[in-house]
Amino acid sequence: MKIERLLFFLIFIVSIFLLSGCWSKKELTDLAIVAALGIDKNEQGRYVGTMQIINPGNVASGLQGGGGNQGPPVSIVSGTGDTIVELSRNTSRKLSRRLYYAHTNLVVISEELAKEEAINEILDSLERDAQFRSTAIIVIAQGKKASDIVKVLTAIDKIPANKVIKTLRITEKTWGENIAVNVQEAIKTLVSPGKELVVSGFRLSGDVSKGTKTENTQQTEPSALLYAGSLAIFKNGKLVDWIDGEASRGSLFLLDKLKSSAIAINWKGKEEAVTYELIRQKTKIMAKMENGTPRVSIKVEAEGNLGEIRAAADVTDPDVLLNIEKAIEKEIKKEINQAVQQAKTYKADIFGFGEALHRTNPKVWKKMKSNWNDVYFPEVKTEIVVDAFVRRTGLRNNPHKVNK
Amino acid sequence: MTMSLFSLSKKMKKLKLQKKQTQQTGHPQPVKAIHSALQDQIDYIKEKTGNSTDVNIRKLQLGDGIGPNVAVVFIEGIADSKAINDFIIESTMNHRTVHNSRPLFEILLEDVVALGDVKEITDWENLFLSLMSGESIILVDGSHKALSASTRGGEQRSIQEPSSQVTVRGPRDGFTESIRTNTALIRRRIQNPNLWMENMKIGSVTKTDVSIMYIKGIAKEDIVQEVRNRLKSIEIDSILESGYIEQFIEDEALTTFPTLYHTERPDMVAGNLLEGRVAIVVNGTPFVLIAPAVFIQFFQSVEDYYGRADIATALRFLRILIFFISIIAPAAYIAITTFHQEMIPTQLLIAIAAQRETVPFPALVEALIMEVSFEILREAGVRMPRAVGSAISIVGALVIGQAAVQAGIVSPAMVIVVAITAIANFATPAFAVAISSRLIRFGFMFAAATFGFYGIILGVIILAVHLCSLRSFGVPYLTPMAPLIVENLGDTIVRLPLWAQKKRPRLFSSELENRVGENQKPQPPKSKGMVNSIIEKGDQDEN
Repeated sequence: MKIERLLFFLIFIVSIFLLSGCWSKKELTDLAIVAALGIDKNEQGRYVGTMQIINPGNVASGLQGGGGNQGPPVSIVSGTGDTIVELSRNTSRKLSRRLYYAHTNLVVISEELAKEEAINEILDSLERDAQFRSTAIIVIAQGKKASDIVKVLTAIDKIPANKVIKTLRITEKTWGENIAVNVQEAIKTLVSPGKELVVSGFRLSGDVSKGTKTENTQQTEPSALLYAGSLAIFKNGKLVDWIDGEASRGSLFLLDKLKSSAIAINWKGKEEAVTYELIRQKTKIMAKMENGTPRVSIKVEAEGNLGEIRAAADVTDPDVLLNIEKAIEKEIKKEINQAVQQAKTYKADIFGFGEALHRTNPKVWKKMKSNWNDVYFPEVKTEIVVDAFVRRTGLRNNPHKVNK
Repeated sequence: MTMSLFSLSKKMKKLKLQKKQTQQTGHPQPVKAIHSALQDQIDYIKEKTGNSTDVNIRKLQLGDGIGPNVAVVFIEGIADSKAINDFIIESTMNHRTVHNSRPLFEILLEDVVALGDVKEITDWENLFLSLMSGESIILVDGSHKALSASTRGGEQRSIQEPSSQVTVRGPRDGFTESIRTNTALIRRRIQNPNLWMENMKIGSVTKTDVSIMYIKGIAKEDIVQEVRNRLKSIEIDSILESGYIEQFIEDEALTTFPTLYHTERPDMVAGNLLEGRVAIVVNGTPFVLIAPAVFIQFFQSVEDYYGRADIATALRFLRILIFFISIIAPAAYIAITTFHQEMIPTQLLIAIAAQRETVPFPALVEALIMEVSFEILREAGVRMPRAVGSAISIVGALVIGQAAVQAGIVSPAMVIVVAITAIANFATPAFAVAISSRLIRFGFMFAAATFGFYGIILGVIILAVHLCSLRSFGVPYLTPMAPLIVENLGDTIVRLPLWAQKKRPRLFSSELENRVGENQKPQPPKSKGMVNSIIEKGDQDEN
């Protein structure tokens, strides 16, 4: 009796393993790991997806066996379809492995497509898919097709998708004219009525056909180079225009995304004589109603060091420092103003003034919500208060004078 | 309701046990009385021992009789021949000239044999028991009684540092194969009359000496009785090691986990006795059993108590981690590479994928190949003569480490996983648990290959349930975590300082008193007098 029961139990356990097999098992050698996905639209109006697939053997170096380090680290495969899912499945005709999106960290959307169509329709499929990560970074292929950005090989970071993401992250931190926006943030902004989306563009200099060859990474100066471009301003999910330079840094100030940057100011008539190295900043946006029109007060607290002084300035003198601080404040104010003016001309509230108003005057906001971007946002009065602070003046006190 | 049923069935079992015992004692074995003539006695011994050459029979003459009237019988090698020569043979011979009217037997007992432990024996069975345990038998002509003198001795291994459970700090002595040496080592540490010892012989052929030791008043009476009962009910021909006994008295046979602790260290036994446990010392092996054993005990080392509490706590966390690594590391590798590729960083995934490109097997087969070949190597390393040991390590390192990778049969990442698992396995302080995790690991690997991490979690749940179901002499295996006994948690995964561990384990010790007194936390003197006086003195010197 007992042996029978034991036997039954044993068969029961064994059949759990044998009958189920390796349920939803996927061996690494059956997966095509997609690093980046580029989305274009062709002449027939169908979507063209370009996948950057990692070729593991060519990325991980120092391995014996395999082919060594000969081939390119990534291969490109593309598919066409009326929808994103369709194009993804369509690629299987050209690929021996299953596409695996769990490590896709970059989505490139072509400028043309972003201008033509609201990108939330594209993002839906990405968000719905279980494999796809909502932390993938979105960039717009500025002036090029998305496939061009995906195709080009890069030198230091072997996987081009990584190069793009890391470039964006680093430049956001140290220069502050670009911003790394992921799918989740983009969707959040798109559905919020009081804020419009702003996404970085990525540019390609040089020839695409040269960039796709491994020779591109074997020269000190690549013939095709990917670099961060301007900021793309969206309105109702469609790309409206680009802003760059000081205005884009002003936008990052307003978005409270700026971490550090270098700001040059004029001093005693000399242009760009003193460079202020921003190390941290905090922006607060408050909105209130005044005589029936919304009024936004922007308060910026900046802190930084003096990085370069090219004019006679006695930085041991507190009064001089105070004056420098004032000049910095003026410069930051100017940049922010530029950003606001540009956004107003595009009638796209990328800074979230609407959200701020929603928080303070929900009732008023309800009335203004539907026409906010077109009617009320251009009329918003802004009041900018900048408080800049020089924390350190560097290892040297006064700039040296050349006596002759 | 279920509880009462449970206790009822327990009672029934006890009743049955008692019945069995009474049956046994009801039919005593027929005992042959000792012959009275000396030559008959000697002949009988020779017949019974098959004339074995190591049975020495020395005929002597006591008093002024004519011809031998006394014989000394002992077994060469297990009896101390010096003691026999000096205190039995020589003193008997010295009595040759003395004439005494008293019976020979009394003279021997009172005047001649100069040894501490001398017993009278009246039947053959006890005579042979004494003889075989190394005592010397003195046969007397014309008497139905014989004397047994304790002359146990002979060549023994001296007390050495234990080869298992080595410590950096702590006593260096370890148990030997002799039961008396071992009990003495324990008694030397607990100099208290309450350390009680009970002897019994187990094994119908080997008649092995087994001692139970416990501290009266600290050990729980029920558990001591349970140990006693279980030992008494053992019916086997031989006991060659304490492992024989372990298999008969453990609570659950269908488990890979040990429910008795075994150790070579007297200090560990002493420490466990003081917590209320019972030690079972078996003759012929340096491994002493400790009952009851709980799960967390296998992650403790004696050194934990000798060193600082904070460091011991950190080490215990490490050991728990080690246990999990040695169980799930290969399973996790399989699960990650076949099911959950999204769970690891992209760069790591690419590195693993690059290695797996050339491997012709699925991850499970790869892991099995490596794990099995490592187990083969380890087994070879343990069993091989020491002289060939280095050859094994060379072959192992070359085959597993290099050639298998270069041939593209396994990936380097797998080698790392196997190596980590192996090292983690070696680092487990108790060998009994280490060896069980070796086996469980394979179950986890199959679960991971079938269901991925889901399978691993299922396995962990099953393992936890199984551990909860185990008992050691009626004590739940996971005490004091499950059932939760807060006051005993100080000596589990954390090891509180000794002055903070006030209570003995509640489930297997009688809580008569606290282990430590009140306010035992050491601290600097409250007044600053010492410092101040030195400063003042210094001031005066300056003046």
